[in-house]
Amino acid sequence: MLTEIQEGKALNPVVRHITQEKINLYAEASGDFNPIHVDESFAAKTPLGGTIAHGMLNLAYVSEMMTSAFGRSWLSGGKLRAKFKESARPGDTLTINGKIDCIEQKDDVSYANCSFECRNQKGEIIVTGEAIIKLSSDKR
Amino acid sequence: MPDKTITYEGLTPGYKFPPAVYELSASFVSKYLKAVDSVDDGFVPPLAITACAIAAMTKSIPLPPGTIAIHASQELEFFKLMSIGATIECHIGVAQKIARGKMSMLILEIEVFDKSKEKVQSGRATIALPA
Repeated sequence: MLTEIQEGKALNPVVRHITQEKINLYAEASGDFNPIHVDESFAAKTPLGGTIAHGMLNLAYVSEMMTSAFGRSWLSGGKLRAKFKESARPGDTLTINGKIDCIEQKDDVSYANCSFECRNQKGEIIVTGEAIIKLSSDKR
Repeated sequence: MPDKTITYEGLTPGYKFPPAVYELSASFVSKYLKAVDSVDDGFVPPLAITACAIAAMTKSIPLPPGTIAIHASQELEFFKLMSIGATIECHIGVAQKIARGKMSMLILEIEVFDKSKEKVQSGRATIALPA
């Protein structure tokens, strides 16, 4: 967890390598077997040209970064808004970065407003978004 | 969960899919953690719960075979941590349906409750489809 919660503070990045095996595992766990994720021959014939990772798999890495920074405050008081800009594909290495943009006080409760992005090895943005975490009073 | 009587054209704002019930079993959580390269912290990761809701959602949308549906955006709010073995109920409804040129956007509202009907998480998903 972050020892200091302050504006401008960068969150510890998460780096993950995407493989077809991981996509298949995610399909099995989630029950989402959309062929665009798991059927390589079907996906090759679509405009996407091949399989893509589930958006929620990419978002799971974002949540991992937030959990590592904010612990239970994130798990039972977090809020996020994410846009899936590009698809992550087998072979991609994703790096998730985030930072605390500002800390707001509303009705005696502190909220950390964060921004995050997930980029592939080419620097292309895969996911971008914002998160709000309700902080307990002893965090400041 | 899937409502076999509804068609994609019949999905209009306000339509509610029949709720889907999931057990957050140890084997499900273990599979999920392996898939996302994470470790067991003794609770169910909130995005594992969302994964159930999204799966319920994708199974519910009546699309012609071969249609490519892309998850364009996601909003989520977490209210409550769930323990392994708990049961959740996912409620999904159509919030908006927008046609944009050759694409159609389906905006769905998701609410997840525990056994005692307490809200676990809520969210909104935007799915892009060919019109």
